[in-house]
Amino acid sequence: MATIIVDKIAKSFGATQAVKDVSFDVHPGEIFGLLGPNGSGKTTSIRIILDIYQPDSGSVTILDGPMTNEKLNHIGYIPEERGLYQDVPLDRGLTYLASLKGLTEDQIKERLPKYLAKFDLTEHAKKKAKELSKGMQQKGQLIAALIHDPEIIIIDEPFSALDPINTQLVKDLLIEQRNAGKTIVMCTHQMNQVEQLCDRLVLINQGQVLLQGELSEIRNRFRTNEVIIDALNPLPEKLNGVSRIEKLNGAYRLSPQEGLSSQELLNELITQGIKLNSFEVAVPTLDEIFIKVVKESGGVDE
Amino acid sequence: MNKTINVARYEYLHHVGNRSFWISLISVPLGFVLIIVLSMLLSFLSFDTRPVGIVDNGNLIQIEPDNSKQSTFFDPQIYLYVYPDESAARAAALAGEIQGFAVLPEDYTSRFQLTYWTNKQPDSDVQAEITNFISKNLMVAENIDSAVFTRINEGSHISLQSLDGSQTSDGTGWHRIIVPIVIGMLNFIVVMSSGGYLLKALVEEKENRTIEIMLTSVPSREIMAGKIIGNLSVGLTQIIVWVLLLGIAGFIFRNRLGFLADINLSGSYLAISIALMILSFLFTAALMATIGAAMTSTEESQGVIGLMVVPMMFPFYFFSVFLNNPNGLLARVLSFIPLSAPMALSLRMAFSPVTPLEIGLVFVVIILLTLLMFWLAGVVFKRGMLQYSKRLSLKEIFKKETRNA
Repeated sequence: MATIIVDKIAKSFGATQAVKDVSFDVHPGEIFGLLGPNGSGKTTSIRIILDIYQPDSGSVTILDGPMTNEKLNHIGYIPEERGLYQDVPLDRGLTYLASLKGLTEDQIKERLPKYLAKFDLTEHAKKKAKELSKGMQQKGQLIAALIHDPEIIIIDEPFSALDPINTQLVKDLLIEQRNAGKTIVMCTHQMNQVEQLCDRLVLINQGQVLLQGELSEIRNRFRTNEVIIDALNPLPEKLNGVSRIEKLNGAYRLSPQEGLSSQELLNELITQGIKLNSFEVAVPTLDEIFIKVVKESGGVDE
Repeated sequence: MNKTINVARYEYLHHVGNRSFWISLISVPLGFVLIIVLSMLLSFLSFDTRPVGIVDNGNLIQIEPDNSKQSTFFDPQIYLYVYPDESAARAAALAGEIQGFAVLPEDYTSRFQLTYWTNKQPDSDVQAEITNFISKNLMVAENIDSAVFTRINEGSHISLQSLDGSQTSDGTGWHRIIVPIVIGMLNFIVVMSSGGYLLKALVEEKENRTIEIMLTSVPSREIMAGKIIGNLSVGLTQIIVWVLLLGIAGFIFRNRLGFLADINLSGSYLAISIALMILSFLFTAALMATIGAAMTSTEESQGVIGLMVVPMMFPFYFFSVFLNNPNGLLARVLSFIPLSAPMALSLRMAFSPVTPLEIGLVFVVIILLTLLMFWLAGVVFKRGMLQYSKRLSLKEIFKKETRNA
């Protein structure tokens, strides 16, 4: 049973159609990627899910019904525009935000030190947020989103401002939350992170859904018969059965002619005496899919 | 409701727990005290307390001057000494024992003119002392009791009453002026400080982006309610601390505050003034919330606050209008504007009877305007708080929303 069901939502701001007929659903125990270029309608969609904006049409079902004040306590949200009380000590600010999620003082006293320790922020707890680095503030935000043990976590650009160590920390955390059965919606431009973390995704541009489904299924859908080879000797300018040869960084991308399978191409290369270090079928990266789909849809709204 | 309390508590503790709050809290009365002490000190230092001589050539003086009252810093006395002749008085003046001397000529009772000999302009107190002393002696000469003289000097106490007898007003007394001014100043300070805190909190939340997290934790109306309650409490804390300080000062100087017994404020007068102050604050709070949600930075919002000060100061600017024509058009109009109403109405009630119907109408109009402002604040809050870099336009504020915000 899906925890979030977005059904044909639409929202306009004046003459601008921010979101149009967007539908998707998200299930417990999965990390769902909400992708799209800047201005594509991602943030508007999230704000509609969170009941900050009302859709002009369509509906959102969250935890088996419309949003209620009580359900707000079951959602952890980190917006793209990060926010912490800058002139307030970190622990006081987090205590306040946790209390707004319905936690009692005792619960906060019990949980906050654990989270601060987990994110390596214990010694910075009494510092004002403005005295912390961007990465530390980001981790503080994560604590605010997780301390009330929400069923749904919505996180916009979770890895911005994080160094590789903290990026790994957040990735591990998201995986841990997914394994605990939480529903996670992740907005990001970092496609490599989506490839590593997301189970399913939806790609929207200009307010419309361009693509959605399971990550592996989408990659297969965009798969071509191109191959990437690492050859020990230089390739001739022309190869039988190959329509295009593209030099990569120490390797070649070969585009076989229509009807030629990768197996037949391999045989052809061996026949022509080309010695190979490696031969792999080229699976498109999510970056490539993203760019291809967005360009085909008419580009990006600035 | 719990979250409203949480928001209110955070807002309150955030400001009250801040050192700058206490510094500004103490500095205001301290500033007043300093000004009063300095002015008293300057006045005392420049005040010539040396005695004044009287030479009676007209045989008018029947009773000796009363020099029994102790001269103190707070209540300096100018004693009168009677000299037998001008030369003795002059010698004392030249020796600096007295600051000058008045000579009553033989024909004083027919011309009522005297000569005051001195090298400096006499203070008004000197002239008053001499005049009082001579008047008393004239009364005694006519066998009139000095108590009667005191009563004549004080004049009559006039109270005003409306023709139907429903409203009364104390027609005399210095507190008629002072009390409305104090109400106006308190209203100004509380509204501007609490409202200022509220505006600052909203704009800062917008600037530091915490508002989006707030909106996904607490319904917008509860956020607003919590912020208003919290910041109103900050203003009330200021008032309570100042009243306490005033009470302590009053206790310390209780022997010097006999004049306060003249103040006779009716319960309804106080109730109306306090109720109007609270309504004025609520209106301003909603106005501040509207501005805070529509603006994008603290600097931008400060400019708008400057405009709000203007109507609040109207009763001060047009004080003479209230004195001369408390029921005129301008005074009446200012009674219906939430920002100026607390002082305007209390001024009018102090100088002239105001009918219950009009007072009721003032309350109805201000309550309606406050509700309207709260509605507007709700709309602007919802629409403007997430527009981080763009100021909300009037068109956007009044655009029809598809569902209830």
